[in-house]
Amino acid sequence: MKKKKTLRPEGNPIVRFIRNNTVPIMFVLICAVCIPLSGFSPSYLLNEIVTRMGRNIFLILCLLIPIMAGMGLNFGMTLGAMAGEIALIFVADWQIWGIPGVILAMILSIPFSILLGLLCGKLLNMSKGREMITSYIISFFINGLYQLVVLYMMGPIIPIKHFSIKLPRGYGIRNTVSLLNMRQVLDNALSVTIAGVKIPILTFAIIAVLCLFVTWFRKTKLGQDMRAVGQNMEVARAAGINVERTRLISIVISTVIAGFGMIIYLQNMGNLSTYSSHSQIGMFCIAALLVGGASVDKANIGNVFLGVILFHTMFIVAPSAGAKITGDSMIGEYFRVFISYGVITVALVMYEAKKRRAKSLAGHKLAQDQLTEDKEAAQ
Amino acid sequence: MKSKRTLLIRLAVVLVLIAIGAVMMVIGRGHTVYFDNVALDYNGTHYDALYKVTVYVKDKQVAKLYAKERGMATWIGQNFSMTLEVIETKGGDEEVHTIHVKLPYNMDGIVLNLPALLQGLPEEAYLKEFVSNVPEVPVEEEPGSSDEFDFGADF
Amino acid sequence: MKKEPKDNNWSPSKLNDEMNSVLSTPEASPLQMAQMSPLRRLVASFGLPRLIITAFLLLMFIAAPFTGSDFWTQVSNTINRFSWNAVLVLAMVPMIHSGCGLNFGLPLGIISGLLGATMAIEFGFTGPVSFFMAIVISTPIAIVLGMGYGWLLNKIKGGEMMIATYVGFSSVSFMCMMWLLLPYKSPTMVWGYAGKGLRTTISLEGFYDKVLANFLQINIGTLSIPTGTILFFALLAFLMWAFLHTKTGTAMTAVGSNPAFAKAAGINIDKTRMLSVVISTWLAAVGILVYQQGFGFIQLYMAPFYMALPAVSAILIGGASVNKASIANVVIGTFLFQGMVTMTPTVMNSIIQMDMSEVIRVIVSQGMILYALTRKTKGGNN
Repeated sequence: MKKKKTLRPEGNPIVRFIRNNTVPIMFVLICAVCIPLSGFSPSYLLNEIVTRMGRNIFLILCLLIPIMAGMGLNFGMTLGAMAGEIALIFVADWQIWGIPGVILAMILSIPFSILLGLLCGKLLNMSKGREMITSYIISFFINGLYQLVVLYMMGPIIPIKHFSIKLPRGYGIRNTVSLLNMRQVLDNALSVTIAGVKIPILTFAIIAVLCLFVTWFRKTKLGQDMRAVGQNMEVARAAGINVERTRLISIVISTVIAGFGMIIYLQNMGNLSTYSSHSQIGMFCIAALLVGGASVDKANIGNVFLGVILFHTMFIVAPSAGAKITGDSMIGEYFRVFISYGVITVALVMYEAKKRRAKSLAGHKLAQDQLTEDKEAAQ
Repeated sequence: MKSKRTLLIRLAVVLVLIAIGAVMMVIGRGHTVYFDNVALDYNGTHYDALYKVTVYVKDKQVAKLYAKERGMATWIGQNFSMTLEVIETKGGDEEVHTIHVKLPYNMDGIVLNLPALLQGLPEEAYLKEFVSNVPEVPVEEEPGSSDEFDFGADF
Repeated sequence: MKKEPKDNNWSPSKLNDEMNSVLSTPEASPLQMAQMSPLRRLVASFGLPRLIITAFLLLMFIAAPFTGSDFWTQVSNTINRFSWNAVLVLAMVPMIHSGCGLNFGLPLGIISGLLGATMAIEFGFTGPVSFFMAIVISTPIAIVLGMGYGWLLNKIKGGEMMIATYVGFSSVSFMCMMWLLLPYKSPTMVWGYAGKGLRTTISLEGFYDKVLANFLQINIGTLSIPTGTILFFALLAFLMWAFLHTKTGTAMTAVGSNPAFAKAAGINIDKTRMLSVVISTWLAAVGILVYQQGFGFIQLYMAPFYMALPAVSAILIGGASVNKASIANVVIGTFLFQGMVTMTPTVMNSIIQMDMSEVIRVIVSQGMILYALTRKTKGGNN
């Protein structure tokens, strides 16, 4: 990224630090208040957070690449989640269990993810400058198609045989598909328990591989191109980069990663809510990333890890802390949802305001330059 | 030239993935195996149930069966193996058998007749497909639309 | 593979114009129109998706009698649902005119309406008076919230739609807590056993249930028309039309269609945009009250969450574009959309024995928004 120009450069480094990390600091404070109130034991809390890290980090990592390509927060990651779910439905129908089932589901999800990713990327190329709202609507639209396929076509058109997942009426998939036979197979393989905290080594290893991939990818030719496109499409185009193709690829990669992530997420949960597992996943992932200090145009792996830890600590403790404060357990539930949306809103507002400020600054500068030029010409 | 090589690499990757997928489909097929310790008649011969048999799958005890009892275990893949600790008649000595069975790919649930297996009878004698005789209660499941907010959703 | 440069004429510096003139349906120039065949001309002026939806609806109406459902009942249902929703769709108009894009933040206005409704009941008003009082109470709330919302949208010109969406979501989830915490006491509204916290749905019987619909209601056989509601909508629509022809109204249109010109003409852009947002928010508040009187219930908590999307797609189906959204777009769009919503379940059910209407509704409405979002913007970039 280019050096940001702020209108009021703050001299004090502490003030600057707080300004740049408002959201994470806010969350640290929320957690600091809520943790003692919730009354959870540290080992329980730690266990939960480690589990959730294993479950969610992979999914959230998929958001990094579109941000790199300047396409904002990819609300279309839901598409990858749906691809993963379709793959899991097939695997459950064929009764492939355990780690082979997970691997097969991942392989199977790739064609679906690529297809949906291409569609999403094409549409986003047609709506440059408003990628986020478009990807957000795409996720709704594809959700409609997903329901059409899963609810009406699976059975008569797409062969689904197994009684445990097909609705008794003969077509459509049940509300929940049990993944009991692959429940936590990745997490339990090679897991170690340290002081009562189960650490899913294999899952973390997979996440580490993806982190390495993302880091490596930034340095490849394609990654460099993406960053160039993200900074300025015109300049990138002038430099001979195929902007459309680069953007398309970034979305496809993101969708494929999201598909894998969803499979990892669901193998931990142990069952698939056919019609609702994916519906909120994009929102929560994006909120978690933003909580980690990312912004719409800048995010790194550190943001993902910090975000998951902070966001999920809040997520775990909020209901019981809310119940302690107000005497109503629903308040905490609503509170954490409100915070998720609020964080996204604040991040979006900050991003747009910054963009506008930078632009008006550039405009001022241009006007001033012209003015001096005119003066010089007059002299 | 270069594009041709890229194409070949891609093709190879796709083939490798398909191959891995195919392997996973074979080795990952899950089965539920039921063990019956019941008497049977085969080719005019009568075979008695065993007095007591303890079934170990993957070194874990999954069932301890007296006559007319049924146990159950899950197994991934088709090459099923189990260890049986058999006491044929009351007060008799304990014998240990390790038994390998090739499970048919298409069957979800498989019933193995232990006396027949121990006697070395052919497959048709000891292996049956498990058919659930509990009629499924037709629950009217109306899948909900997902554009409603799922509040209880855990993440 | 190189594309034509004009396809890709985009740069951050042009972002503002581009975003301000979002969502226009492609409109062919008169010259281009003349060169087309009549059919192509129809498609170009009407828009392909709109044509498909109209044809689909016509087909539904034709098929309805054959499937055993009563034609006039279907028509009544459609008109009824039209009357519930039309004001909410009308709320889209001012913000489109002022260039703020589609008001995905509609839930904020709906919340003002809900606050008005619950307070009117809490203060003990009943019957038709409660409807009037609900509007009166929600008005200042809508104005205050609308001003805040408008101020925010002025800070982030260009990114209105995404932020509007999340302003709506945040406010709905914030109000979820408030419905539990605010000191409501009326026994018709709070949970019986706890004695506090509002219920998720509150019946309007004895308050303003059907208060507009029953006014001058026409019943001919199975056809029934909620004249009062339609008249109420017509009044608001007329006021909106008249407003758009006043000096302030034309200024608003100018801000939306050509900000540079508007600025040169001495129009205060920020103030005009804020006014449009306030009007939109207020109309959303009134709109939800009209919806409730037809539906018979107040729905709280998560109910307003996705209410913006049907309204947005309705006005787009009606043929709106960013700097142009007419009252006709509202009427046509609401009628087509609600017609589709009411007709598909019955007809579909009897033809193929599957109720696919929900899925079809999602696909059509989201597809329509998507279609509009991916159109080339008409702004003077090329």
